[in-house]
Amino acid sequence: MRTIGRLAFALLAGAALIAALPGEKAWAQSTLAESGLIGELEGITIIEDPAQWPTTFGESPELAELVEKGELPPVEERLPEDLMVIQAVDGIGRYGGTWRRGFTGPGDNENGNRIQASDRPILVDHTGNTPRPSLAKGWEMSEDGKTYTLHLRRGLKWSDGAPLTADDFVFWFEDIYGNKDIVPTPIPDMSPEGKPGRIVKVDDYTVNFEFDVPFYLFEELMTGDTLIGGGQAVRQSEKRSYGAYAPAHYLKQFLPKYAGGVEAADAAAKAEGYDNWVAFLHFKKDWTLNPELPVLGPWKTVQPINNPTWVMERNPYYWAVDTEGNQLPYFDRVVMTLAENLEVLNLRAIAGEYDLQERHVDLGKLPVILENQEKGGYTVHLDLALGGADAIYQFNQSYSADPEIAKWLTNADFRRALSLAIDRDQLNETFWLGVATPGSPAPGEDLPYFPGEGWREKWSTYDPEQANALLDQIGLDQKDADGFRLRTDNGQRLRLEIQAVQAFLPWPRISEMVADHWRAVGIQADVKDTERLLAFTRTRANEHQIMVWNNGGTELLYLFPRHAIPVDPTEAFMGPEFAKWYNSGGTQGVKPEDPNMLKILELFRGAAGQKAEERIATAHEIWKILIDQQYGIGTVGQSPALMGVRLVSNKLGNIPSRNCIAQHCRTPGGAHPETWYYKE
Amino acid sequence: MSTVLDAAPAPVTTVAEEKVAVATQLQLTWWRFRKHKVAVASGVIVAFFYLVALLADFLATIGPHATDAARSYIPPQEIHWFDEDGSFRPHVFALKGKRDPRTFRLVYAPDPEDKRYLVLFGQGYAYEFLGLFPTSRHLVGLDRGNPEEALFLLGTDQLGRDFWSRLVLATRTSLVIGLAGVALSLFLGVLLGGISGLYGGWIDTVIQRLIEILRSIPTIPLWMGLAAALPASWSVLQIYLAITVIISLIGWTELARVVRGRFLSLREEDFVTAAELAGASRMRIIFRHMVPSFLSHIIAAVSLALPAMIISETTLSFLGLGLRPPAISWGVLLQDAQNIQALGIAPWLLLAAVPVIVVILAFNFLGDGLRDAADPYG
Amino acid sequence: MIAYVVRRLILAIVTIWAISVVSYAIIQLPPGDFVDSYIANLSASGSMVSAQEAEAMREHYGLNRPIWVQYAKWMNRVIRGDFGVSLEWNRPVTEVIGDRLWLTIVISIAAIILTWGIALPIGIYSAVRQYSIADYIFTFVGFVGLAVPNFLLALIVMYLGFRYFDASIGGLFSPEYELAPWSWGKVWDLTVHLPLPALILALAGTAQLIRIMRANLLDELRRPYVTTARARGLQEWRVIMKYPVRASLNPFASTIGYLLPFVVSGSIVVSLVLSLPTVGPLLLRALVAQDMFLAGAIVLLLGVLTVIGTFLSDLVLMWIDPRIRAGLHG
Repeated sequence: MRTIGRLAFALLAGAALIAALPGEKAWAQSTLAESGLIGELEGITIIEDPAQWPTTFGESPELAELVEKGELPPVEERLPEDLMVIQAVDGIGRYGGTWRRGFTGPGDNENGNRIQASDRPILVDHTGNTPRPSLAKGWEMSEDGKTYTLHLRRGLKWSDGAPLTADDFVFWFEDIYGNKDIVPTPIPDMSPEGKPGRIVKVDDYTVNFEFDVPFYLFEELMTGDTLIGGGQAVRQSEKRSYGAYAPAHYLKQFLPKYAGGVEAADAAAKAEGYDNWVAFLHFKKDWTLNPELPVLGPWKTVQPINNPTWVMERNPYYWAVDTEGNQLPYFDRVVMTLAENLEVLNLRAIAGEYDLQERHVDLGKLPVILENQEKGGYTVHLDLALGGADAIYQFNQSYSADPEIAKWLTNADFRRALSLAIDRDQLNETFWLGVATPGSPAPGEDLPYFPGEGWREKWSTYDPEQANALLDQIGLDQKDADGFRLRTDNGQRLRLEIQAVQAFLPWPRISEMVADHWRAVGIQADVKDTERLLAFTRTRANEHQIMVWNNGGTELLYLFPRHAIPVDPTEAFMGPEFAKWYNSGGTQGVKPEDPNMLKILELFRGAAGQKAEERIATAHEIWKILIDQQYGIGTVGQSPALMGVRLVSNKLGNIPSRNCIAQHCRTPGGAHPETWYYKE
Repeated sequence: MSTVLDAAPAPVTTVAEEKVAVATQLQLTWWRFRKHKVAVASGVIVAFFYLVALLADFLATIGPHATDAARSYIPPQEIHWFDEDGSFRPHVFALKGKRDPRTFRLVYAPDPEDKRYLVLFGQGYAYEFLGLFPTSRHLVGLDRGNPEEALFLLGTDQLGRDFWSRLVLATRTSLVIGLAGVALSLFLGVLLGGISGLYGGWIDTVIQRLIEILRSIPTIPLWMGLAAALPASWSVLQIYLAITVIISLIGWTELARVVRGRFLSLREEDFVTAAELAGASRMRIIFRHMVPSFLSHIIAAVSLALPAMIISETTLSFLGLGLRPPAISWGVLLQDAQNIQALGIAPWLLLAAVPVIVVILAFNFLGDGLRDAADPYG
Repeated sequence: MIAYVVRRLILAIVTIWAISVVSYAIIQLPPGDFVDSYIANLSASGSMVSAQEAEAMREHYGLNRPIWVQYAKWMNRVIRGDFGVSLEWNRPVTEVIGDRLWLTIVISIAAIILTWGIALPIGIYSAVRQYSIADYIFTFVGFVGLAVPNFLLALIVMYLGFRYFDASIGGLFSPEYELAPWSWGKVWDLTVHLPLPALILALAGTAQLIRIMRANLLDELRRPYVTTARARGLQEWRVIMKYPVRASLNPFASTIGYLLPFVVSGSIVVSLVLSLPTVGPLLLRALVAQDMFLAGAIVLLLGVLTVIGTFLSDLVLMWIDPRIRAGLHG
């Protein structure tokens, strides 16, 4: 039944044992423990036993007024039969208030998408390990792995009162995903081994996903922020059309099939100022732009994202209640104000102009943030991420412009030497204020995917003597007058290029320090501070030598592998040509020659058909190869750098003292913002 | 200053006045310039800065790329000038740092056991003096040990790099980089503006339209595009130089329009007509006769152009489009200081603005003085 | 005269067309397109775009066609008055710019008034009382304004304002008024917030204006006619104001043209630092995101304004200086 649940629990127990072992984490934790800023991972409890559910219900005064006027049905009729009953961290909250946040523009839709994250069929709990029911009340995977069943909540309604049924899933599959004008290429999430799957209605509240080959991975895909399992808010905004379900009753009118043909649909689109019906549809199904779109999240947009303020209001049909039957969410409104640059955003957060802000907050400003806690009326929480590398140096294995450089980039001992030459404690102190965990890029020790003892330190300690010895050994023993090693082809100085982008971490500056460490073992590295767009374009064109980024998402290797292995051509710093080869089934790109690389790709491809236990073991194997080969040199990880510095207004309640920071936790969605409230 | 209403010159001329009568334009200019005290002082300051640029490595104490987390965000160090016994022996104490777990700030305390005396011509990192010969002598060093261990005259930045050394080296880059651009702008501006104003007619029209087009091209997209289009294998400095030259090819328009305006007015002056009638060539008229009459405006424009180059370098670096690390310039250093943690934790990093301000002021006063001195009507 | 105007008009149109081509080319110069920028953006905030999504987006935006085709299509629409829909803001370009335009104009005009209002009197005073203490002080203060990079000033002022004065951070409105509909309170709020950005914007220009005004006026004051006027017994202030000041305004005529685009674009950098909702940061964002319609429209707008400004500038020059007008005919 819930194989993931039991398995995860077992692994969690095992992982907890491993985590309890002394190691490099100890000193970091003592500094952090002293600071008092790291809380305990805590989260909501979902009451699944109907016998314990409340029988009377409450609603916000605003909605009660509308019911009074007859504009809204009473709360009992708005809530589903299969309730989602949440026991929040502190307890019962109060209605009212506006949650103020900062956002950076129309491109920052993730800011709102994540708050709506409960519109996914399945969520994860606060540890990030256990899947929990959200839109769906239950699920199972058949023994043969070919049929995945989702059980929907009876009586669950869209924000305009229409019911959510299996028809919405079938509608998405047949009329949106199946329409080549909207979705030109099928997604791997629905096509194991290239064979397309189907969505089939069993009854009004039961949906089957059917595949021709065993696809055990699908169960995990449904729980993560994937194309299929991500939910309507994120997967159908910004011209995307995934998410497994869609509001059929609303969107039908924009499709030619139901609007009376392509001409009619196009005419309707042009009348509104759009080029064609597809462009019109993309606008209409985007919850950040279209206030009329029915949604399933706790709030809905009233002033769209492309304004100086993005305003959301309570969804009167939200399907969750607290243990006393009060319909969630507690906040009436969410208001995001535009900040043209990040310094302003951070300064406003420090000034207390936001009620809860973790997004875009810069770890480097922590001392200033702490200083102003009293004045700003907030408390700081540091949440540690689950990913192993905030800065990972990916060596392009398919680099071809300079054969000499390519020779070294593809030499494992070269990479290992460079890894040993990095003084990670220095980086940790300087850029992460000492709160990160130095070591290899492996996922956090608490996750089932952690490869095992010793793999945090392998090739990832500070050992310049061994580094020098390795470099001498592989043939780079000739040095020039300044002590830099020489190329073997023309006797000139060996120079590497590190491409670094100034994004949410100061990677160019971090790379300067890394270059300084490499200088000490005789390797010259030129840091190219590149503009973001340019950097991505160059990597896609296979022009970069070393690219530094983080490896967020790889903590669940199968859901978001691109920063660990080169399988997705959109971002494959480790080998763009290999990713093309893998993704196209061999028709494009270049096939890797390195047997280890081939092995990794093979293992990855086969994992989709493996059951959970086997799959995790495969993941361990993949990580072991990755770390042993050091294709990507990790530096430090599991830090609060990305969305981990949380400023919480002192007026708020039901705030977990520590959040889960990971791709699939959908920070801050995983902390269930619908349960947060103002204490007075 | 004599005016027309002054009494007629005395019948007996003094030696000084005779000198004035036969002095060249240049000598006259110099004598007048000397009277303007502030301008002279500014000239000295500018010369001083260029000297610093020349001797940059000698004046620095620690290698500008040497990082160390244990030295991050050290405030400017206190130098004790006198020993306990009262003798003049400047010394510093080595610092020990620790991160306060409550505030997450790094707190440094001097180690009273570890006293280092400052010496002149001490040992430091290796470099090539004026590019001529290798040495490791610097102006200031410590009596024992490497300056890296204890000497931080202006504190350090986030990576633990010595701020004083970086500031001195930044001076060199920033002062030199604008020269090529300004020279080019100047030449093109005067030439094309002059031709445009003097000849008028269709030449004027074509040049004016060209100026319009060039001026309408917004600099920022141009920079972004060029920065992206130039080969990635060039060093940061080379790319910046190339872009500066290209920008000057557009920047001459400012000067050209002013020059043209003046030319249009001056064209009708008697002395120009006289020169034409005397058979002087156009080129000669422009450069020998017309230009000197508004030389003062050109000087004023140039003396503003170089600091404008410096300001544009700092601005573009702020936007991430100009010089970038690991190059060191004032703009790069200011970019380090352009954030809240610098303002709140390490305000000494803002000192990078001081040489910028001083140099720009100095150039402006110098330009003022030169303009006054070169003014033929004075 | 009319012939001159007509000829200039035709040339103006040609110039504008040339500007549009060059600008479009420059905007497209950095490799990559809007979808790349979008992907890069998302990746930097911890989310992802799949290869399929990217391809679909590219197809949808028509980004996989050659550049000159894209330019032709764009130009085609622009001539009809359709500036397209901003890729980033998902709203018509005219709306996006329009939202910010009037605010930009208000700030820029405030800055210009401040600049000229401060600089001209100081310049005149400095020239008249040359080498006096006041002359040195004013010149010095003016130059400090010129020398300090104004973005640095902006950040420092903003931080100090927050630290010691509880001032609201950046922007043009206090948080309470941000969302509120227009009212007298909101107008007052705007007025209260205006001086700071306007002052910072004005600072750099002030010094330049002072010194040029001073230099010009000094030149004029040394001319024989001034001495004659004085000798004739004309009041001192009339001696200065009647002709020398007007004559020294002549060189400014050449530069008035560039005020026009400035009014519309404002200062990109200061607006960025102070988070002012003006057109400048809008352009920068559009460029970084490769949002060609928005960037192209703004650049075209600035280009057109420059051309108009230059034209006006020339007219003003001719009007001020009768010698040039004479030269035109003779």
